[in-house]
Formats: sequence, C-alpha cells, structure tokens
Amino acid sequence: MSRNLSGLASVAALTGVLALSMPARAEDSYKIGYITDLSGPLAGSYTPTWEGFELYIKALNDRGGIGGKKVDAVIDDDGLKADRAVAHAKKQAERDNVLGIFGLSLSSTQAPVYAEMRKMGVPVVSTFSGIADALPPAQPFSYSTGVVFEIAGDAIGELIQKIKPGAKVVGMSFDSVGGRAALAFNKKSVLAHGGTWDEVIFPVTTSDFTPFAQAAAQKAPEIVVGHYGSGQNLGVIPALRRSGYAGPYVVASYGVTEDTMRQAAERSGDGSNIYYVTRYSSSTDKDPSVAEVAAAQKKYGTSKPFSSMHVTGWALGKFAEAALKACGWPCTREKLDKAMQSLNVPMGGLTGGAIEMTATDHYGPSYWKLYVWNANSNAMEPKSDWLRKTATGYK
Amino acid sequence: MVRATANLRTSYLEANEILKRPYQRLLVASIFVCLVALPAASSGYFLHLINQCFLAGIGALGLSILTGYCGQISLGHAAFMAIGGFTAVILKAHLGLSFLVVLPASAIAGAFAGCIVGLPSLRFRGVYLAISTLAMHYSIIYLATAYQARFGSSASAGIPIDDPRIGPITLSGETSWYYFLLIFLSAVTFGCFNLVRTRAGRAWMAIRDRYVAAEALAINLTRYKLLAFMVSATLASVSGCLMAFNANVVTVEKYTLDLAIIYVAIIIVGGMGSILGTLMGAAFITLLPYAIDTLFDFLPRNWRFGSTLFGVQTGAVGLCIILFLLFEPKGLAELWRRIETYFARWPFRYRPLDAVRR
Amino acid sequence: MEFITTALILTCTYALLAAGIVILYKASRVVNFAHGEVAIVGGYVFYSSSTFAGAPSLWYGIAGALVFSIVMGAFIYLAIMRRVLGEPFYVPILITIGLAIVLKSAIIVIWHANQVAINVGVRPAVWLEGGATLSYMDLATVAVTAVFFLLLHLFLTHTRTGIQFRGTAENPLLASQRGVNVNFVLSLAWAIAAFAATLSGVLYGGRAFLSTESVTIGLAGLTAALVGGLDSLRGAVAGAFIVAISQYLTVRLIDPVLSQALPFLVLLLTLTLRPWGLFGTREELDRV
Repeated sequence: MSRNLSGLASVAALTGVLALSMPARAEDSYKIGYITDLSGPLAGSYTPTWEGFELYIKALNDRGGIGGKKVDAVIDDDGLKADRAVAHAKKQAERDNVLGIFGLSLSSTQAPVYAEMRKMGVPVVSTFSGIADALPPAQPFSYSTGVVFEIAGDAIGELIQKIKPGAKVVGMSFDSVGGRAALAFNKKSVLAHGGTWDEVIFPVTTSDFTPFAQAAAQKAPEIVVGHYGSGQNLGVIPALRRSGYAGPYVVASYGVTEDTMRQAAERSGDGSNIYYVTRYSSSTDKDPSVAEVAAAQKKYGTSKPFSSMHVTGWALGKFAEAALKACGWPCTREKLDKAMQSLNVPMGGLTGGAIEMTATDHYGPSYWKLYVWNANSNAMEPKSDWLRKTATGYK
Repeated sequence: MVRATANLRTSYLEANEILKRPYQRLLVASIFVCLVALPAASSGYFLHLINQCFLAGIGALGLSILTGYCGQISLGHAAFMAIGGFTAVILKAHLGLSFLVVLPASAIAGAFAGCIVGLPSLRFRGVYLAISTLAMHYSIIYLATAYQARFGSSASAGIPIDDPRIGPITLSGETSWYYFLLIFLSAVTFGCFNLVRTRAGRAWMAIRDRYVAAEALAINLTRYKLLAFMVSATLASVSGCLMAFNANVVTVEKYTLDLAIIYVAIIIVGGMGSILGTLMGAAFITLLPYAIDTLFDFLPRNWRFGSTLFGVQTGAVGLCIILFLLFEPKGLAELWRRIETYFARWPFRYRPLDAVRR
Repeated sequence: MEFITTALILTCTYALLAAGIVILYKASRVVNFAHGEVAIVGGYVFYSSSTFAGAPSLWYGIAGALVFSIVMGAFIYLAIMRRVLGEPFYVPILITIGLAIVLKSAIIVIWHANQVAINVGVRPAVWLEGGATLSYMDLATVAVTAVFFLLLHLFLTHTRTGIQFRGTAENPLLASQRGVNVNFVLSLAWAIAAFAATLSGVLYGGRAFLSTESVTIGLAGLTAALVGGLDSLRGAVAGAFIVAISQYLTVRLIDPVLSQALPFLVLLLTLTLRPWGLFGTREELDRV
C-alpha cells in the first residue's frame, strides 16, 4: 500500500510542479534570454562568457537597472546541440517572452536559431562565436558582437606576419561551420602575404589530440594556428610540443581562457612561443576597463577562473544595456531591433574601439590584437596594436 | 459496486477485448474529450510540452513492441529516428517533395533499416544483441554525419526544414501540431493495441517468454523477430521524421546514444509489455526535465549556478532508470494496475477467481 | 618510433579499461556500460585531490583516487547490483546504463563540466628523434599497465578468491552453497574493476584532458574487451591493441573524422566473423 501511495504521490507531485510551470504574468523588468553551452564539449569557453554577461547584468541591476527597471536574463543550456538551441530559443520566445536572445554557442548551432527567431521577430545577438548572418548585407534580426570567423581568419593571417613574415602556416581546427570558415579566410590572408598553407581538421568531440598533433608536426610548419576553444588548446599544445614542434603556436581566441593557457604552458615545458589573437582584451591586460570587470568578478564570484571570456561577456552586457536603453520603456522586440540598428557603444579598453551597428551592418568594425604568453608572469603581453577590420567584403 | 466474479469470459473474442468494463470505456472517452478540448484552455508553451510527449510516445511505442512484447533488447532506437530525420531532409529540403510523400517514405526507410538492424537478432540474444544494435547505431550515425558534412554547411551544422503542408493546412504553431499529433498518436496507439492481439503479437510474446518452446510450436523466429524490428524501426523513423519537421532543423548530434537510452528509460519507467505504460512513461520522462526546471525556480538564486540545473536534469533520467528497476520493475503501468484493482475489488482484497492478467 | 610509442600508450589505456570490463564479466556476467564514466570520474577525483592543496601533488592524487575507486566499486555492488541478483539478464545492463548517465551528470554538477588536465608527471622524460618527447606519465602508463595485468593474472589463477570468480559467474547459487562468499567476491570484482577504470582515467587525463565528452573511451574499452573475448584477460590486451592500432592508423592515413566511429566498425566486423572474440570461450554466446 505504501508503494502505491509513494508512486501516486510522485506522479501527483510531477503534475503539480508542471502546472506551476505556466507562464508568469506581465513583467516589470527587461526580459532577455541567453542560450549557450554550459555542459558540453565547449563549456570551458562558453560558460565564462555567460558569467561575464551575468556579472555585467548584476552590476547594472545593483546600480538600479535601466531607468529604474531591472534586467532579467533567462539562461538555458544547449549542450552544443543545434536542436536544443532552437528548442530553448522557442521556449524563451514563447514562454519567457524575452525581448532578445544573446550569447549562443558553437557556430554550427547558430544558423537554425537565427532562422527560427527571424520568423518570430526576435533579435538575436551572438557573442564570441558568430556566423556570417550579421555581416553586411545583414540578415534581419541577426547581430553579433563576437568573433565572426571570416573576419577572424583574415585578421589572424595579417597579425601573424608580425611573428614571422611569409611563413609556412599550418592551420588546425575542428569540423564546424566556423572552423572551416576561419581556416578558409586564414588561408586566403596567409597566401596574400606571401606565405604557404596547410591544414589539419578533427572531429569536434576529440579529446586525445596526439595523432592530429603528430600529423601537423610532420608538415614541418613555421607557425601553427589553432582555431578552436579552450579545451582543445589544452590538449593540442602539449601534444604538439611532445611531437617535436617547438615553434610559434597561435591561439585564435574563440574562447580560450588564461587559466587554460597557463595549464597548457605548464604541460609543454617552458611555455614559450605561445601567441594569442583576440578581439577583446585579455584578462591580464593592465587596462582600467579590464580592471573593472576583474573587480566585479571578485565581488560577485564566478565558477570559472577569470579570463578574457569574462571580458567578452561583459562587453556584450554593455552592448545589451545600450540597446535596451535606446529601446526605452515599454520595450518590444521590434523597437529593440530598430534600436540595435543605430547603436554606437563605446567600449573603453575592452576592445580597440566602439561597437557600431547600422541597418545593413549588424557587426560593425572590429579590432584585433596579438598577445604573447609570458610564462614567468602568467600573463599575456601585447605584441601589436589594435588592428581595425571593417565588416564589408566577406560575403 | 462489487465485482467479485468479474473477468469470467466465455469466448476468445471477449477475452481479447481492450476495454473490458464500462468504467474503462467511460474513462477513455472522457480523457479523449479533455484532450480535444485542451488547446482552448492552455498556453502555447503547455501545448508545446504536450506535443513533445506525443512525439516521444510515437517512438516509444515502437520500442515497446520490440523490447516489451518481443523481448529483443535494442539500443539502436536513435539510429532509426536519425533515418527518419534524414529521409525528411533528403526528400523535403534537398529534393523538395511534399510532406505527404516524405512521411510514408520515412516509414519505408525505417522498415528497411529495421530489417537490416534486426539481422543480428537471429544470431544473438541478450547482451550481444544489445551490443550489435549499438554497433549498428554508430554505423548509421557515421553515415548520417558524413551526409551532413557533405550536404550541410559542416559536420556539425543543422540542416533546416520548412513546416510541413498537408493540402491546404500548414503545420506550424503549437495548436495545429497538437491536433495532428493527437490524431496520429491515437491511430498509432490503436494500431499497436490491435497488433499485440493478433497472431504476430502472440508470437512475439511467446518469443519473449520461452523462445525454445515457441520454436517448438512452429513459430518462425526469424520472421517474427524481423517483423518486430521492422515495426519498431518504422514507428521510430516516423517519429524522427515528425520531430524533424516539428523542430524545423535536423542535426545528427541530436541522435546520440543518450537519446536511445531515454527511450529505453521510457519503457522501463512506463512498464515493459504495456502500451498504456509506454504512453505514461513517455509523458513522465519528457516532462521530467521541465518539472526539475520549475522546481529549481523555487530554490535560492545561487543554487542555479552555472550548469547544476542541467546536470540534475540529465542525471534525473538515469536515476529514474535505477530507482524504477530496483523498486518498481514493472513500471508505472503496474502502479496503475495496482490502484485500479484496489478500487475495482474493494472491499475485497483478492480476486476470487484468478484469470490471466493482460 | 613515435608511431610505436603512441600506439603502445593508446593500447595500454584501452587495455586497462578492457581489463575492468573483463573482470566484471568473469565474476558476474554483467557487461558494465558505465565503465567509461567511472574512469573519467576517477580521473576528476584524482585531479581534485591532487590540486586540493594548491600545486599538483602525486601522492594526494593517488590516495584520493585509490580510496574513491575502491569505495565506489564496492558501493555500486552493495547498494545497487546486489539487489538485482537473479533478475532477468537485461536488468543489470540497464542499471549500468542508468548509472552511466548519473555519473556523467555528476561531472556536470560537481565539477561544473570543467575541462581539466592532470598535470602530474608531465615533464618530458625521454627524447626521441625529431624532437618528440615522452613524459613520465607516458612511461608510467606502460609500466602500470604491465604490472597491473601481471598481478591480476596471478590473482585470478593462483589465489583462492580469484578462482572463485569463475564459479560465482557461472552459478552464484551453487557457489554460495559450496561456501563461496558471493557478496565478497562480487564486491571485490567491482572494486577491482573500478580501480582499473580509475587508473585508466587518470593516465588518460595525464595525456589528454578530461571533460564530459571523454566518457566515450568507455565504449572503445568495451569494444576492445569484446574483440578480445569478454572473459579473457589476454583477449583484453589483444583487443585493445587492435582497436588502438586501427584508430591510430585511421587518423593518420585515412580520415580523422572516421576515427570516432572506427571502434564500432571493428566491433561489427568481430560480431560478424567471430562473436565470442579472439580468446573468449565459445559457449558464452549461447548464454542469455
């Protein structure tokens, strides 16, 4: 009898809890959504980005919010799967009534989300990974403040000339939309500067990189560029060193944290010759804007060690605040979309210049910097100035 | 109402009735009426949840027939769904055929695949069969990944699909999907109830319980095992096709081993060998993550830290499998049966004449 | 030379995993689908206990992982598997599948799905031609595997309890009536299996990194065990070698993306041609 009762009780509880999950009443805050990978293969890169965004929103709410209204961010995990990303996007749009969706994860998960939200009229702003939807001529409701791979590949090709001009470059990436796009444009840029090119591609879920690193080392490169996230670098850098490649290795920053760099450097001997190209300042940079983010991280705490991914998320938060402010109150999705199309958000030292968007260009000019890892101080040191890239000419 | 002498049947026809007693018929009819009226009283989001339950139910019924009624352990369910999804992609997105062609085509593709995946069952039983289906799963998924890499934008990008059109009706938005799936699931359930009452159904149950005796009774094991695999794969493939249209995107990453395990969890939680149980299990497992999500809303803010919620959601399914297998191996259906008989026999505790329970 | 060492190290990793699966099958006829997850959780525990006091420390790590693996293995048996002795064959399998899910989600909840690398013993120890290096961890992998297999073999063939393993698997009821403490034997089997898994996970984490996705090595280990024969330790090594070599060759010579699916193609081939594995006993197949 008790088994019947406990069984019945659990089923009743389930039903009751579900009944409670019905949508809430009218809001008194700006509701936005954030979908990213919090538990899958690239959680090490995407989770800190979300945390940076969350830090900014917390600080913003503590300041009183926007015109007295708080900002409420709904977070969902897509585990790096496109169908889950779309399902969460639909849920956030229908149940949580979000004004816009931010974040997103791997490039491969983005196209369907952009497409579905375009149908529903919800603006989507991706950060740190972005696909070409936001580049001019931009698709409606599709924005990005992050690293769009076409431009990143190009910028990296240009910046690595400072390490060794005209070198033989081997590019490594995993098999994703962004990875392939990045390699394609990196190749173009390297060839345009007189170098030679080869590449190694591996599955997204690889964790043992020894064979791939050996394949890369055997091509006798002068520079190796890695277009992937934190965890992959953690595996690739030591594997490359163990395979006998001691030359320069460039981390293309799609979410590489300084903590990972430190661990990778520790495992690969002296940690020298590791470079880093990024759109947003490294967390070890001395700039006061970065210090502001560090202070917030200390105040509110995060589960991941402080990294440039937090800086990236923070920058997105700044952008979100500016967009919502321009939207006004009460804000709707159409108003938010319109507001985003004429934004100029100063970033201070977070990146080389302001984020500017227009009606046809939902990405704007981007600024890229080359750093080198200093194993003694466990910090990134700038090796170049901010390189400005416009978003035209990539589609 | 005392029915101490219930369950006395005087013909095979009566013994095979699905809904035996008047109250059962009344119950089913009223549930159906409620289901039809539901969209008027609920939000789009709730309907979305119910739609997911329906979709899961269609697929789960296939696995229930294979594992619950025929006793063949299969971990390849996700692969069959992948076949359905990719048939949808090939025929709709890349060849532009209409939905009314795509759905039957995915059923046929599923049947075909089921036949092939079912071949090891002629040779193996038990663990080895489970492992062969696992190997088949990965092979099919590899082919799907290769296809997605060639024809999608990359090996990990989804291929989008438009909403399906049946004649003048476009299935977009929760309400239209709800009615479509309600009709479809009802038809499939009705079909399954009947299928297990036929000769094939009885053959399956014989194979499950005593395959040696079944063979001795001239039941063609090959034929019926393959038939079970084909039916299961057909339903799974159709379910995969519908899910693809519902989500408007197809990625091979969706069809993981975890998905196959979720379906196995559904039939365990629901109760193997019971159609009603399978439907209950489908609803339970599908809604569990959302219930956990809502529960977490009540916890203090810092418990929602990072990925804890999602870890718990994933772990809950595994925990359900373990707990149900330890404490209630016959699943929710058994729970329902016990409650039903308690009320049916009250104030008696035992049935005076113990007929065979279905 | 580099090719040989990499292949050898990969073989050792898979062999340890396969050994765990074989031990369990030898003692209880249960195929453990949660083996990969136990390995990776063991690796994470090693990481946590070794970095517990700051800089990575080998001894803390070993202590933590050792205690964890033995306790975990015994716990799984005593709390869960023991209750389902005597149930139909599919019940323990499904329970291990459920366990796999629970352990994977434990990684997400406890360690926040962080990717961690075990930084103990990763300094280069041996230099090969072409600048390639082998770390202490790499050397340890081979040494530990060899020692473990030797000890295990001696245990199974020369000690009383080891011989009881086989009897318990064939007929637990009869064995217990003959005075074999079935509970002890089975908890021991699970503890050894968990230990082997943890060992493998730690060595893997030292060479690559650990994340929620790494649990797929469990399936490679299962393939290795099946190819070699589910009840043969010799087969575990042979199977591991075959899987490792074919995976490595596929990455280097054919197509890197195929390497993920390769263990299963090998598995399919084995099941078609010689289902009981290279060194397994044939009658196992007819058992349900």
